[in-house]
Amino acid sequence: MTAIVELHDVTVAYGRRPVLWNVDLAIDEPCLYGIIGPNGAGKSTLVKAALGLVPLSGGSVRFFGRPLDDVRGRVGYVPQRESVDWDFPVSAIDVVLMGTFHRLSWFRRPGVRERDTAMACLDRVGLADVASRQIGGLSGGQQQRVFLARALAQEADVYFLDEPMAGVDAKSQERILRVLSELRDRGSLVVIVHHDLRTAASWFDRVALVDMRLVAAGATAEVLSRENLARTYSGHLDLLDEIGRAMQTGRRTR
Amino acid sequence: MMVWPMVVAAVVSAVCAVVGTMLVVRRMSLLGDAISHGVLPGIVVAVLAGGRPGGMLSTVGAVAAAMLTVWAAEAIRRRARLSEDAAAGVVFTTFFAAGVVLISLYASRVDLDPGCVLHGILELAAADTVPLLGVAVPRAVVNGLVALAVVTVFLAATWPAQLFAAFDADAARVVGVPVGFATTGLLAMTAVATVASFEAVGAVLVVAMLVVPAATAELLFRSLGRVMAAAVAIAVAAAVAGYLAAWRWNTTAAGMIAIVLGLCYLVAVLAAADGGVIPRLAGKGWLAWRVACEDVLAAAWRREEAGGNAAATPAGLLFRLAGSWLRLRGKVEGPTDRLALTDAGRGEAETIVRSHRLWEAWLGRNVELPVDHLHPPAEWVEHYLGADVRRRIEEEVGPASSDPHGREIPTERG
Repeated sequence: MTAIVELHDVTVAYGRRPVLWNVDLAIDEPCLYGIIGPNGAGKSTLVKAALGLVPLSGGSVRFFGRPLDDVRGRVGYVPQRESVDWDFPVSAIDVVLMGTFHRLSWFRRPGVRERDTAMACLDRVGLADVASRQIGGLSGGQQQRVFLARALAQEADVYFLDEPMAGVDAKSQERILRVLSELRDRGSLVVIVHHDLRTAASWFDRVALVDMRLVAAGATAEVLSRENLARTYSGHLDLLDEIGRAMQTGRRTR
Repeated sequence: MMVWPMVVAAVVSAVCAVVGTMLVVRRMSLLGDAISHGVLPGIVVAVLAGGRPGGMLSTVGAVAAAMLTVWAAEAIRRRARLSEDAAAGVVFTTFFAAGVVLISLYASRVDLDPGCVLHGILELAAADTVPLLGVAVPRAVVNGLVALAVVTVFLAATWPAQLFAAFDADAARVVGVPVGFATTGLLAMTAVATVASFEAVGAVLVVAMLVVPAATAELLFRSLGRVMAAAVAIAVAAAVAGYLAAWRWNTTAAGMIAIVLGLCYLVAVLAAADGGVIPRLAGKGWLAWRVACEDVLAAAWRREEAGGNAAATPAGLLFRLAGSWLRLRGKVEGPTDRLALTDAGRGEAETIVRSHRLWEAWLGRNVELPVDHLHPPAEWVEHYLGADVRRRIEEEVGPASSDPHGREIPTERG
């Protein structure tokens, strides 16, 4: 059986200094796959290398046994939230529509079908009511969910998400995790870069532990020998957040 | 006054505004600057080879020089580890200087005026006409309209790619959207717009036309289509206004247009509904006023609770004004330093005190603070709590309880 994603002896260097050494990694079946490691371990670089966004100093990457160029529409990418300019003048639905762009030919604009798809995807992440809002006005968690909706609209078979849970409120985290699990259940592979060991243990089916090299990969329980369960939030943060925002705008809370 | 120079100015401004919008939202204004200067040697060489400014040959020369500028800047940035702005700065000034040197070397053979390079000469550009449907139309207008058509068709053909590449180039690249093509094309279109505007407004002031209308429109609108439409409208209006002003005071039209654009930007910075200076100040002032009114009401409520012999109405000009206003509205009555609540003002006052004491109770439960530290934060937060949050806080601290000082928390009024 050919692997969904296969990295063969991948090395990435910035200048001449390798930041990722000889990674050999194959993911065979649909699952929630965590790429775990400390800050600066090269997790994001590993994903970018797999997606051809940074040049490889050595090694090769295959998707479904073929080079990425042959299967581009089947692979989706959600970069780190900070990597884009959220003041960009587009609404949430416009961003989600971008997920359909690779299916459009020249001179074509997204039509009714694409709009319906985009709206359904926004609804799946619970943001149908902010569809026409400019993205800069959304909270961090909502922005991340807009990104996720764009990936859904692409209808890919493999998704790479870079730190989708970073700086995201508990409610958004839960929603994101649920949608990602649904994707897996429908047969997609979901690869998630994540830095928090406590939550990794409970979220992912399989993980790869990365620290400039591949330390270990496999079933989560085996790779992460100690389990720390996620601390439950008490809701105080929600309340303080809401009041803080009210104070910022000078208006009252609801 | 002549109409044609004004038309020339309006047309080239519109072309620049369309391209400029994409440059500005992609945070590539600097490249616009670099290209508008870098095209000069390309145009000069084309003119030396027999082309005319704004013609086909000089457009080709300009696009080639623009690509060379961008490529050289990128190469230097990579190899020399120079920052992007420094690399672009080094390259385009060198290219521009080369163009100026070429002009002075071959002054006799080049039909280019150094003044034309600096700020263009609208009247001169409008004087060179071609017959079109029996009317003598300035060549610059025809060139400008052709450039507008080329730019519009290109952007329309690649619009989804332009949008995706502008917002999130990495994700676009992964799914196979032609990001490189869209970007290179946009830079070529910048060169086309620049060369069409060159004769009319010069290589230096064209930067204003590329960047300022879009930067102004971006402050006012939140969708890319509207930003672009507004940028074109602002550019055309500024061209007309600037030309009229230049005619009135008998000075350079391009310079005047750029100044009008700058003023447009200033107005947008001051007045933009969302984050503009004036609305922000107004918002702050309104907030201070609301807080003062609510403090006066709450003080009166507390005095009523204490049997009339507690602290006076807060002193100070703002509070006196607030007191007068509340008296006018029939919410308080009595002497200015001892205002008493009317039946109309009591409900509002009670809500403020309720917010205050609920917050003290919530802080007392959830934050480790000595009891005498609870008043100041509550004095601050009381002005921001709405009915929904008050209810949630009450659910948490328990209904009909008292605040940490032992005073009763008023119940919510219907």
